[in-house]
Amino acid sequence: MAEMINELLSIRYPIIQGGMAWVATWELASAVSNAGGLGIIGVGGADVQWVEQQIRQMKAHTDQPFGVNLMLMNPQADEIADLLVRERIPVITTGAGNPGKYITHWKENGTKVIPVIASVAMARMMERAGADAVVAEGTESGGHIGQATTMTLVPQVVDAVQIPVIAAGGIADARGFAAALMLGAAGVQMGTRFVVARESIVHEAYKERVIKAKDIDSEVTGRSTGHPIRVLRNQMTREYLRMEQNGASLEQLEQLTLGALRKAVVDGDVVQGSVMAGQIAGLIHGCDTCEEIISEIITGARKLLEQRFCLGENAIGNTCSDRFANA
Amino acid sequence: MFEKVQKIIAEQLGIEAAAVQPESKFKEDLNADSLDLFEMVMAMEEAFDVEIPSEDLENLATVQDVMDYIKNKGVEE
Repeated sequence: MAEMINELLSIRYPIIQGGMAWVATWELASAVSNAGGLGIIGVGGADVQWVEQQIRQMKAHTDQPFGVNLMLMNPQADEIADLLVRERIPVITTGAGNPGKYITHWKENGTKVIPVIASVAMARMMERAGADAVVAEGTESGGHIGQATTMTLVPQVVDAVQIPVIAAGGIADARGFAAALMLGAAGVQMGTRFVVARESIVHEAYKERVIKAKDIDSEVTGRSTGHPIRVLRNQMTREYLRMEQNGASLEQLEQLTLGALRKAVVDGDVVQGSVMAGQIAGLIHGCDTCEEIISEIITGARKLLEQRFCLGENAIGNTCSDRFANA
Repeated sequence: MFEKVQKIIAEQLGIEAAAVQPESKFKEDLNADSLDLFEMVMAMEEAFDVEIPSEDLENLATVQDVMDYIKNKGVEE
């Protein structure tokens, strides 16, 4: 069995924070790293200078390992990729594409490279290209998504590769964490839960919208464009889906979403903005600090795994007491 | 070689073989997304016993590109 990611990444707990564009700034990421998880700066569509400043702040606010997520459709992806080498970033995760051409270069300084993948074939290719682990991200996630669910994707990827697999999509509490371990994951990545963390700088209106969200409040826009995105339903998504159904052009659709994430995260416009969140948003009821979130999950999982172990033993015909008597 | 490549691509994408022509562009003409490309490359590797590293994927835009790539790897069928 592959090692757990806390060992691989030299962090206390096998929990990493998703590299969400606009949301995952040094404020959130340093809080996650200081709480024993792995905080990640989300590059999104930002430029090199922004990334450089974020890394400087990050290094000033934590002495723990941290990561940077490079969104591969970023127009300055090549320059940012070089910056990450110069800055000797401990962990690099990638999204929205194929990081194959960067992996060897990144690994020269001992950086751990962890692509986010959405299929078995992609996981295999990334392992072969030298990835240290993969994040298998189910369609339950917020933002850019693939087709397979976390429940189906994670065990299939675990069977297909030797490197550790980090489960993402639909995980926000101790139950999700424990379930991911049962599927064979070596750790979890969470996004939505950290969006509403106290240290996260997203607008209060955005956090409130996520906390109020119910189980079926998210919608997928852009299926027709080949870049599906999960967001909470609002006026923008209704308009988008209507236009998409009526065969609007890519340009028209892009016009609608241009700057929409910034509008929601920074300006707090949850009506016209793009309020990205995963399907698990309905489970999240309040704002906690990153430390509270991580310790709730770890202590909760410890209890759950013991309880469930006994229940499981009973279900398959052994009893817990038999087991301990035989031990 | 074209027939074999055509058959693999059509199977992977679930489309008519006739729709797959040498000049077909994967993204624009065949509506393949990035995950489809990974599946297709894995199938090509198996069928032609070659290795196509992920960093080369971005150079494979058309069916012809794939055939040229495989030929350059010394496959002659």
